[in-house]
Amino acid sequence: MPLTLLNSDKAIPEREKHTYIKAPSESILPLSNVQTTPGDFTERGCTYAGCLGVVCGPIKDVIHLVHGPIGCAYWTWGGGTRQNLSDNPSFHRKYCFSTDMQEDNIIFGGEDKLYESILEAHEEFPEAKGVFVYATCAIGLIGDDLKGVCKRAEDEIGIRVVPFNCEGFRGCSQSLGHHIANDTLFERVVGTKEPEYLTDYDMNIIGDYNIQGDLWEIMPLFERMGIRILSTFTGNASIDDIAQAHRAKLNLMHCQRSTPYICEKMEEKYGIPVLKASLFGVEQTSKALRDVAAFFGLEDKAEEIIEEEVSKVSPKIAAYRTKFEGKRVFIYQGAPRAWHWVNMFRELGVETIAAATTFGHEDDYAKICERVNDGVLVIDNPNSLELEEILTDWKPDLFISGLKEKYLSYKLGVPFINGHSYEKGPYAVYSGFLNFARDVEKTLFAPVWGLIRRENDA
Amino acid sequence: MRSVTINPAKMCQPIGAMYALFGVHAAVPLVHGSQGCTAYPMRMFNRHFGELVQVAVSSLGEDASVFGGKKNLVVSIENIIARRHPELIGVITTCLSETIGDDIDGIIREGNFEESKVVPIHTPSYVGSHVTGYDNALKALVTTLSVDSEPENARLNILPGMVNPGDVIEIKQMLDSMNIAYTILSDISETLNAPLILPKPPFPRGGSSVAELEDCAKARGVIALCEHAGGSAAVYLKGKYGMAADTICPIGVANTDRFLDAVCDMTGVEIPYSLEQGRGRLIDAMVDVHMKTCGKRAAISADPDIALALAEFVTELGMEPVVVSSSTASRKFLQKAKSVTDGEILNGRDLYELQRAVKDNETDILFGNTKCTPIAKDEDIAFVRCGFPVYDRVGYHRYGIMGYHGGIYLTDMITNAILEWGER
Repeated sequence: MPLTLLNSDKAIPEREKHTYIKAPSESILPLSNVQTTPGDFTERGCTYAGCLGVVCGPIKDVIHLVHGPIGCAYWTWGGGTRQNLSDNPSFHRKYCFSTDMQEDNIIFGGEDKLYESILEAHEEFPEAKGVFVYATCAIGLIGDDLKGVCKRAEDEIGIRVVPFNCEGFRGCSQSLGHHIANDTLFERVVGTKEPEYLTDYDMNIIGDYNIQGDLWEIMPLFERMGIRILSTFTGNASIDDIAQAHRAKLNLMHCQRSTPYICEKMEEKYGIPVLKASLFGVEQTSKALRDVAAFFGLEDKAEEIIEEEVSKVSPKIAAYRTKFEGKRVFIYQGAPRAWHWVNMFRELGVETIAAATTFGHEDDYAKICERVNDGVLVIDNPNSLELEEILTDWKPDLFISGLKEKYLSYKLGVPFINGHSYEKGPYAVYSGFLNFARDVEKTLFAPVWGLIRRENDA
Repeated sequence: MRSVTINPAKMCQPIGAMYALFGVHAAVPLVHGSQGCTAYPMRMFNRHFGELVQVAVSSLGEDASVFGGKKNLVVSIENIIARRHPELIGVITTCLSETIGDDIDGIIREGNFEESKVVPIHTPSYVGSHVTGYDNALKALVTTLSVDSEPENARLNILPGMVNPGDVIEIKQMLDSMNIAYTILSDISETLNAPLILPKPPFPRGGSSVAELEDCAKARGVIALCEHAGGSAAVYLKGKYGMAADTICPIGVANTDRFLDAVCDMTGVEIPYSLEQGRGRLIDAMVDVHMKTCGKRAAISADPDIALALAEFVTELGMEPVVVSSSTASRKFLQKAKSVTDGEILNGRDLYELQRAVKDNETDILFGNTKCTPIAKDEDIAFVRCGFPVYDRVGYHRYGIMGYHGGIYLTDMITNAILEWGER
């Protein structure tokens, strides 16, 4: 019985299809990317979160204007809990823009208020290079003509005004929001500006959001090889960077759940090949560098860099490995990091005993199942009660997840790392791997875990 | 006035309703809306309280948005009851479910759920703010659950509003020292400041019980500490059961005096020696630092009742409240603000406007939540963190600013902020 029903799910047997214990020579995958069981204490977010919160929010020089009642804007202000850093902190993540729709706007329509809001936001921040307008739930229902208003405003203010129809109720998770953001940015932004000059080594990094500065560790590795990063999508990106992305020779795709859509479209329209990469841990990072070098014919340079970097981190990783050997981790991430990190943990001597994603699709689960051992629990869209059961009954030594799950882990006495926004990153590539290992050590061996009492122990 | 809001000072109603429900023992907030309506507010609670919060959502999708969310709501309630057996489920609406027009009262009535109390709470996000949501939730709890029966139980109902666990503890300690029987509605003092002892209980210990909510009708009086967050429930209790009612936010000397006077009036108890000593210690602390506090120009950004009470307290410290800003627009706030300050009043304006006012009024010190931190940095003024959410420093939920003892803590925080700033 490879599919299994957890004890906490007795009342919702449909969860069995999402819960798989990996067995030898089977091609079963847990059911994914479907509607959540109502009231199951899901950890999922909405389409708006995927669109603004994940993909568009990191763009550093546009006004992100949220059309709807106030809450949605408030939650994504400053990236919300996401640490998608940029080099424009005096504007990016500092300001939050909303039409703050009131009851009469809901009844009579919000088009006028939206139009005025776009003009006023532009007037206050004329240096912003565009206005992105996000529709939230109520807007989809009352039928404001977002496209029409944005067009009118664009004609008036003379900078790009781009509507995103990313109402929260669309789709079953954040995932559709990624897709909507990809499609809209492709249609409205990519290809609208020509780079000042071109080189034979122009590459885009697609699907990295510069969480706590990941990109600032990733980019120099490629730049030292002689590659020019033409555009990042969307970490620390200017709208102009994305506008000129169509002239790259190669798209290097990191987050393979939130950005395959734009990669496919750029391949189709501009013939840009796509290379998929994991930029976490020594082996995966080295492989990515080698793959990119092979594409550009820069193999020698890549080997030099790999040797230099690996020699710097290997002894330290080996030391961590001795300390961590035999520890067991439960990885629960949005999607790709659930498989990116299986191998990274293995390099640290830590085996994955359970893996889960919030909004993964079949291909994510296929990648997880390729990487984990038999007997590992693979679960789609786990809810809070399932997480508690796994942490209690499967007894991982470490849980790596996001903020919402952090205090569940703590309250159960299980060491925890925030894999979404990091503890003290960056975590990417060689240098980040050391930060990651250091944080794993901190939480695994914090003395406080040993001070916890069980009731009746005292 | 601008159409566009830049850096809002308010959140929307559902998060306020969740806040109120966290103070009810073994209660589950169920948000009838889209999944972002829980995922995002939960993180705000995580950041402020450093606590686990569990909120269910009916996961309204495209189908439900077209054909109505009845099925999602019923299935949600059934699933929650079957898996968690809560004492109470609070069904919290959103802009989505309110715009769809789901009749949650009818759906809940028809559902006839027996194992758990199910309370409908209307919190359309396009009306009011988080404060309104708290107020609506508490009123819904009280109107749905309170049962009139003899005899009067001589208790006091205290409705704390959207304050910190530390504030509730301050209030409890004062009332305990007076030997008064009371009920806190809703009581987050333990639920959002829970100990780590294994095994983890299915629901955090503490909180107001459903029985206490039912019995609140029998109390001899009710005091709402925040008129805008709990005041409607107090008005309901007064109107329906004829109990004495008052509204006082006990921040600062005179406000705490008034609170205790009201408690004495309602119960016939006298103020004990220990509280007189506590008052004296607050005065002593204020005297110690008055050379630092007097003459400072203060800007206050908070929920309406807290903003007003803080303005009165900083006045007692010899400061001038030159800007008083309420997260939530309210006529009552505007009226009262005029009586506590001659300075600029911002009634439900955003923090972009607050920053303008801070600048225009040559402010020395700013009071506000974490969203105000950049203003204090930009303007290079002293900053005292208060309200919700505070997440760029830890522990603010643990310590109360209410009562005499909370006043000492606040006085020290203010002075230390001024010292750190260096009186530039």
